Formats: sequence, structure tokens, C-alpha cells
Amino acid sequence: MTHRALHPLAWWIWAGSLAIALAKSNSLLLSASVVGAVAIVVSKKSENAPWAQSFRWALTMGLWIVIIRIFVGITIGVPTYGRAIFTLPVLTLPTWMVGIRVGGPVTFERVSATAHEGFMLAAIIALLGAASSLSSPHRLLRSIPIMVYEFGVAVVIATSVLPQIVTSAGRIRQAQELRGQTSTSWRRIALPLLEDSLSRSLDLAAAMDSRGYGFSRKRSRYRPNSWTQREFLLIALGVISLIYPLVSVVTATSALLLAPGQERP
Amino acid sequence: MITFANVSLIYPHSIKTVLEDLSFTVTEGEFVLVMGSTGSGKSSLLRLINGLVPHHTGGILAGDILVDGISTRNVKPGGLSHLIGIVGQNPLNGFVADRVEEEIAFGMETLNMAPEVMRKRVEEVLDLLSLADLRDRSIATLSGGEQQRVAIASALVMHPKVLVLDEPTSALDPIAAEEVLSILQRLVHDLGLTVIISEHRLERVIQFVDRIINIEGDGIAVIGSPQEILKHSAIAPPIVQLSRALKMPAISLTVREMRRATQDLRGSSIARERESLVNTSAEEVIRISKLRSVYGTKVALNDISLSVKSHEIVAVMGRNGAGKSTLLRSISGIQKPLSGEVSVLKMDPTRLKGRERAASVGYIPQEPSDLLYGQSVEGECRQADKDNGVAPGTTYEILTSLVPNISPSVHPRDLSEGQRLGLAISVVLSSNPKILILDEPTRGLDYAAKSSLISLLKTLANDGRAIIIATHDVELVAEVAQRILFLADGEIVADGPTVDVLLSSPAFAPQVAKIMAPLPWLTVNDVLKSEL
Repeated sequence: MTHRALHPLAWWIWAGSLAIALAKSNSLLLSASVVGAVAIVVSKKSENAPWAQSFRWALTMGLWIVIIRIFVGITIGVPTYGRAIFTLPVLTLPTWMVGIRVGGPVTFERVSATAHEGFMLAAIIALLGAASSLSSPHRLLRSIPIMVYEFGVAVVIATSVLPQIVTSAGRIRQAQELRGQTSTSWRRIALPLLEDSLSRSLDLAAAMDSRGYGFSRKRSRYRPNSWTQREFLLIALGVISLIYPLVSVVTATSALLLAPGQERP
Repeated sequence: MITFANVSLIYPHSIKTVLEDLSFTVTEGEFVLVMGSTGSGKSSLLRLINGLVPHHTGGILAGDILVDGISTRNVKPGGLSHLIGIVGQNPLNGFVADRVEEEIAFGMETLNMAPEVMRKRVEEVLDLLSLADLRDRSIATLSGGEQQRVAIASALVMHPKVLVLDEPTSALDPIAAEEVLSILQRLVHDLGLTVIISEHRLERVIQFVDRIINIEGDGIAVIGSPQEILKHSAIAPPIVQLSRALKMPAISLTVREMRRATQDLRGSSIARERESLVNTSAEEVIRISKLRSVYGTKVALNDISLSVKSHEIVAVMGRNGAGKSTLLRSISGIQKPLSGEVSVLKMDPTRLKGRERAASVGYIPQEPSDLLYGQSVEGECRQADKDNGVAPGTTYEILTSLVPNISPSVHPRDLSEGQRLGLAISVVLSSNPKILILDEPTRGLDYAAKSSLISLLKTLANDGRAIIIATHDVELVAEVAQRILFLADGEIVADGPTVDVLLSSPAFAPQVAKIMAPLPWLTVNDVLKSEL
């Protein structure tokens, strides 16, 4: 890495404004191309760190959301008219659940509408995932006011111990498997894991203690995150994408204001 | 600089004193080694210096400890952070930040130092420990030696007067260990830093230290010059064992001194071949051909072909990250190869399950406690008997033959490192596997535990098992292995008899070999046998 890492808040503003623009545009094609572009940025810019995986996780999660959304859309809901693809058996519901139907004819319109919603949601989640994989949570916490710093340090410990727990759990499960356990029970992994993470946490606490943590009331910051042209450029790129939704909102409201004869919604 | 005055220590819920009436003074700029067998209280002694014991652990402390005139009785560890830097046994557990630079700055931030001061000091310490290229790296991606250097840097940046290190080289390969120790020596000489270190592998540190504190067990400790202490101490590195065995009047501590003293011996002796134990009844148990394997996204093993026979003890060596663990995992079947073939006892190890797996390959992981989950030694043994379908008591019998006088009611966590390894080995052996794999077994073992491990491995190999050990410990390899596989960057760079491989690389040569070169002797026993 030759450049200094960009300010984490800049990444979040950039991704956030892209997400707003996408939600407003409601266009699948646009979302796909933006997520594609963001994926390229992530692969170019993210570092070899535990949180860099969050974009991949967000994509997987998005995929699940699409699947669940389509499944729910097909089985439950108000009947929509259109070309029926196939018909599911209808489930009889109690009389007080008026207007809800489970099963029945599945129309092409219904499937495409739910898929569209699912993909839009997935795109927004992917953008947020991109922001978190591009910015270190530790750095983000450093930009947070000093008042909540204590809270921040607790989060730092949690974020550094948690990945270790995941790796230890895998290691222990493998060791047990090699011992000849076919079914590794919860207890057999939990006990060594608990001991392992407890001793790690004690080590960490001892290390922080002997490095003077909590001894001085005030803390200074080494290399505070600074705002430079590069950060502003990044934010500007995000904000430009907001122009279209902003303009459409403004034109809609001014049209309403300029036409007093019409009824307001 | 450091004064211990009649210090005794006892931990809560314990009736045994860890240290008893210990008094000594360490002056400024001294390099002091704390030695003793496992569980003798080395770590406690080190942690007493900055008050982690008893402030952090509890316990009763009698007597007084003064560091630069400050008593640790009244001041908590945090209040001494500008005076004492402490580096724990496993530095990875103590890291707070995710980047090298921020980790180094953490201690100064907590003391509210001005940003300009911090910048200057970080630069200094990055240069001092040659970390400048790594400043932006995420700590999790560093090698063991680099992590150790970062831990030392974050202690040094506070400009302490005392640096305390608990087994800083136990997880490192010989080259990385050498690097860390020479940095410490430079700090002592250039900055007048007082360094206190504990270490099991005495052969690595003995030439650097000024004085030794030897904890002899039962709380008794003596302090003195290396010559005085090592003349009669129960634990001794190979170089001292050789001096003693040859009945030399004075003990030499460096290879250079020892080579001078043994000039005549080397001249008069005839190089005799090491007896090679080729067993005729040996059969091939492991065959690997053209194995390629990945670890994450990195190619960890590339085009590996080898074969291992029964009765054979093979050591797998190489730098951290050379692919040793991946090779062991491929043989034991937890890692699927990308291409190529692994066959263990003519079976595919990835398909083995349950008892069949336990009966063919026994695997001792780097952390033996990963295998254990019982609430007592007895419970653990009973469970192993049940799992493997052997007669009740079998595992406990194996255990008592390995580690005598082990109390069956004790919790596995409360055992010493050596005892815990013994328990893990007996659990694995109870299923009578044909192949035994050990990953870094001597970490944290003292010489006594190591020598009982060595004799155990020899017996097991004589019974017809094949044993594979991944290790950094050249002295262990010299004692026990018949053959060495040397890995670098996922490829086998050397595969041959122990003598040939160890002698061809100066960094990996054991102490006795360095002294006796060009004679092909690796251990004290080799020398003695040739003498007779």
C-alpha cells in the first residue's frame, strides 16, 4: 500500500449516497452496474484484513434475501392479476385473516415484482457491505468523539477476540475429528473453546494493563484521521449520484406547489 | 535497577509457595536469564517485576520489589508502563490495534503524549527493529518473528528502562529466533537497557546473557554468572552437557570457546559413521505423489512427492509458513488436496472416519489441549477408552507409563505443559494408530520432559509405527529423527538422513554439530560413543 488509507467516514458517505440514489432510481440495470463498479473498487482498494470479507458476506446475504423474498412473494400475498405461470394449492386460513392468501396461482408479474424488490434490497446491502470492507472499524472508532472512546475500546477488544474465537473453534473441531469423533458434540467444542478464549482475554487484559491503559484520564491520538482533497473527491462522486433523486424530488414538490388547483396527496 | 527483597509468593487456592524468600539485585544494563523447569514459576517471577502479579492475578506477596526506586506494592502495572516494557509468551494475544503503527503507538496514546513526540518515537523504533516496511501491514498477516518484533517495538517505544520477555523465541524457527535475540543484545549494548528473559531452549540464549536466575523448584532460586549456575544445574543446554561429559575443567558457553577447547579431541577422533537403523521389516505406510494444496488463496504445497515407511521417524522442518502444517493436515486427511494423491495405509485419508481414522493416524495438534475436554484426567482417559472401544483402564495405563505420578483427579488445564502433552499423546495412542503425527511438540517443554518424549518416540518407532514431527527444535531432531524433510515455499528442498541435512545448513545445525564440525556428530551421545 503506497497511499495513506482514505478516511473511513468518506467511504461511508460515498457508499451511503450511492445507496440512496439507487433506492430512489429503482432501476435494476443501474443497480447492477453500480454494484459491479463498487465490486471493482473493493477488489482494488480493500486490504488483507478480517473486515475486508464483509463485502463478500453482504453479497451472500443479499442473495439469500432475494431467494427468501421470491419464496415469500410466491406463496403469501394478495392475489395479483396477470399471466399465471403455475398454480399452487390454496391453504385454507381462519376467517379473521381476510385478504391474505397462501398459495394460489403464481403470476409472472408477481414473480418479477418480488425479484425486483429483492435485488434492489440486495444491492443496497452490498453497498453498505462495501463501505465496511473498505474502512477499518478501528479507524472508524477513532473518528468517534472521545466521550464514547471507552465504548469504542470495548468494541475493539470484541472485534479482535471474535475472529480468534472463530479460528479456534475450527481448529478444535478438526482436532476432535482427528481424535476419531464422528459426531462432534457441542460440549466437546465449547469447553476447550471457552478455556482458550478466556485465557486469550486474560492475556489481552494483562497486556493492556501493563501498557498503561486507563492510567491517564485523557488520551491523545496518534495520526488523527484527516480530511484531504482525496476524501472530498470521493464524497463529491457520491453526492453527484444524488443529483438525480434530488432533482426529481424538487420537481415533484414544486409541481405540486405551482399547481394549487390540484389536490395534494 | 530491580531489587527483590525477601520476596515470597503464594497464589490463592493453593498451598504451595511459588517463590520463597527470594532476594537479588539486577543492575542497569544487565541481560538476565530466568531458567527453571516448566511450572517452576518463571512467568510469575517475570510478572512480579511490573506488578501484574499480584495486582492482576491475585495472591499474597511478602517482601518488597523495587524497580528504579518504585515499589510495585503501591503502584499498579499501568503506572509502571513508562518504566517497564513487558512482552508476553504469545504476543498475538496481547495486540490491541490492527496495524503495526497503531499498535506501536497504543501505549503512548494511553499516556496522553503529544502527537509530535509519538511520531518521532514511532519512526525511531521502526528503524531500530527494521519494521519500517511493515508499518502499514495488518498484524494478523505478519509472520511469528515479525509479530515478536512488533511486540518488542511497542514496549520499547515507551523508552522503558527494563524490558521483560517471557519465552520470546518459543514459537520461532531458528533463524527468526536468532534475529530477535541479536536485537535484544544490541539493545543491551547500545541503549544500556536492562533485559530479563525466560527461555526453555537455553542453547539459543546462553551466549548472550550476563547472569542467570535459576529457579530450582520448591520456591528456591539462586542467581549467579552463567559459569557458576550451569556447572551444577539440573537443566543444561547441549554445549554444557558436552563440557560436563568430557569432564572439562571449565564450562564453555559459546561455540567458539568450545571449539578451541576441543581442538585435540577433534583431531584425534576418526569420523565414524552414525549407525543407520534400516529396518528390514519396514513397509511403506504413506505415499504422496505430486501433491498440490492451497491454504486460503495461497499455494501451500507444490508438487510434493514422498514416501514414509514404518519404523521411521521423519522430521519436517522449514520456516514459519513453509507449508509444514499443510503437509501434516494433508496426511491426516483434514485437508483435501487440489491435485495429486495421498495414500495412507493404502487408503484415502480424507475418507477415513471415526474409529477407523483414529486407528490409522494419530494427530497431536500444536495445542494439545484442543483434544481434551474432560473435567479430570481420569474422565478424559475413561472417555478415550470408550471412544476407541478398548478395555477400561488402557489409556490410564499408557499415561502412567509416560508420566508417572499424575493425579487422576486433577483438571487437565492444571497440568504442566509436559503432563498435558503426555495426556494428549496417551489419548491418541489408546486407539493404537499406525502413524503418529506431532505438530511442534516441544513448545514449552523443559529438557526433562523433552528427553522423556524422545525416549517415548523411539520406543513407538521400534514397535513399528511411523512418526512424523513438524518442529523448529533442531536439538530434538538431532536426537530422534532418522530423516529430515526440509520445506521451503511449499516445496521439498531437502529430503535425506538427519546428519546430511542438518550439517549442510549452518543455521539449522545443532550446537554439538557446530562444535564438532567437520565431524558428523549431532548429539552429546554421538561424541561419547566415538570416544569409547
